[in-house]
Amino acid sequence: MTKTLSKNELESWLGNILKERTLVAPRCVDDLTLFLPVASVDEIAFDCGNTDLSPKDWFFPRTEALFTAEHKDADIEITPAVIEQETVIFGIRPCDAKGIAILDGPYLADPADSLWAQHRAKTTMIGLSCSSPAPQCFCTSMGGAPFDSSSVDILLTEVNDGYIVDAVTEKGEKLLQGVELKESDVSGSVPSCDTQVPAEGITEAVKRAFDDPYWGRLADRCLHCNICAYVCPTCYCFDIRDRTEGGKIERLRTWESCQSKGFTKIAGGHDPRVDKGSRLRQRFCHKLLYFPEQFGPLGCVGCGRCVVSCPVNIDIREIISDVQELGAKVGEGSS
Amino acid sequence: MASDFTQQIREKARELLEDGTVECVIGYETGSDGISARPAFIYNAADVERLVFDNTCTHNLVKYLLNKKAKSTAVVVKGCDSRALNLLLSERQIERDKAFVVGVVCPGIVESRWNERSEQLQKRCDWCRQHTPVVSDFMVGDPVTEQPPADFADVAEEEAKTAEERAAFWQQQAERCIRCYACRQACPGCYCTDCFAESLDPEWVGIRIAPAESQMWNTIRAFHLAGRCISCNECERVCPVNLPLSLLNRKLEQKVLELFDYRAGMSEDAPAPLITFKKDEKLGIAE
Repeated sequence: MTKTLSKNELESWLGNILKERTLVAPRCVDDLTLFLPVASVDEIAFDCGNTDLSPKDWFFPRTEALFTAEHKDADIEITPAVIEQETVIFGIRPCDAKGIAILDGPYLADPADSLWAQHRAKTTMIGLSCSSPAPQCFCTSMGGAPFDSSSVDILLTEVNDGYIVDAVTEKGEKLLQGVELKESDVSGSVPSCDTQVPAEGITEAVKRAFDDPYWGRLADRCLHCNICAYVCPTCYCFDIRDRTEGGKIERLRTWESCQSKGFTKIAGGHDPRVDKGSRLRQRFCHKLLYFPEQFGPLGCVGCGRCVVSCPVNIDIREIISDVQELGAKVGEGSS
Repeated sequence: MASDFTQQIREKARELLEDGTVECVIGYETGSDGISARPAFIYNAADVERLVFDNTCTHNLVKYLLNKKAKSTAVVVKGCDSRALNLLLSERQIERDKAFVVGVVCPGIVESRWNERSEQLQKRCDWCRQHTPVVSDFMVGDPVTEQPPADFADVAEEEAKTAEERAAFWQQQAERCIRCYACRQACPGCYCTDCFAESLDPEWVGIRIAPAESQMWNTIRAFHLAGRCISCNECERVCPVNLPLSLLNRKLEQKVLELFDYRAGMSEDAPAPLITFKKDEKLGIAE
């Protein structure tokens, strides 16, 4: 038996949620779909595919103050940032939720990042199974699935006249308190994600292909903008700088990307990744080699945003295939 | 047409690589979606079959000449792209004898993004009055007679709004900007070694990815391109959040045309108005 909710019931539940908390959901703005706060349920784009930008903004905002510092008498008063607002994200896809969950690896490792921990604690994710995976999606190849409930608090799966409701975590059950769910024997049919990418064993292959001229050739085409990193649900690098206004200092962190020139420039002016090939290689080594070695899962969830957004078609799926071939060749040579 | 252009480009590329005229040919190949083009870098004559030309060849490949990776490079350019060559030549950023220019008389480029290809021409093609490249060493296609300059209906429409409406519109646009700098990275006219937007000392634009900083970024970038923008509109195409950057660039293009009767990149030698000082020049401003 499963529990279900009709579309109307879902809407009135969401309506109640937004009275007390910030409700973030996919919204259409001009010709984009973005996760934004909604003032009423009517604003939610229920039928959209994957949003143009990932929902990571709600856990790792593009700009966030870590603390503020101010002169108080003869002293300096430091006020750390505190997240007070409870937020509910509705309509997050399993791939995106997984993207957030795997970032607990770097962000909650001791010493935990206080802001990340607070955002995670204050945010409840209502996931939506992916009923029609897009051509650029490849979540199943990266260890996910269109109906994967492992990283959300509640998973909804669309069926004929409503949604199957799966309360996954305690936080999810709490949010569902007082909501009347119907018992039903419907089962959601969720299609699989068709695009297969040969990701198995990619970590070893990347290691073997590390010194291949391939990366330099690929970088010929790369514009070295930050689109891929900024649309990616799992890119989590940042820059930190102080901002002064009216005698008050804010220590800010903002998104930053390994594709930026000077990203690895250190005091004295040395930059270990000065050429474009090594910068581009870093992106893929981080996702496919360093991240899994440090934290377990691959650092890519297969949402396909970078595939669609790259202005010059640097396609991670193609790169995974190429690197498997290169890695195999190097493997043969060394054995 | 497309297959014929493709064939001519391949043959020329093969010849240039085989006789050693160039080390690399920058052209287009079919992308991973199988339906739209992406930039291609060909170093061996054996690979020229990868080259294609069709109405999805949107990228301005002149940008890549700034990387100066090869001693000599052939580059495929459309009409608008070719104006970027003149811009970079006049600003001494590239050397003419190191570039072999394969000009293509542009058939017009359609709107496309990954796995989506429409038959709708891009809006830059509506404005375009330079289908035939202004610089070339080898021409693909027959030069066409260009129409008289287009009007600036889009700019006029924007200017018909009240100041408050415009401010609200641009504020809304700035909220979306994620400062990924794709506009800059795609632009052939943006080649500063240290961009003002990332300068730490002085810090011209704060680090925040927020509306005020984004407006500052986009506005100053537009002004840096005043009298230099060659209207390829790649900045707008690559923007992941669809900022209407052409409105800023076109306003400045209109102003420069009006004041100086000048269009950027039409010739290598014409003095660029904003870096040319004439003692007796009067522009009718503030008089």
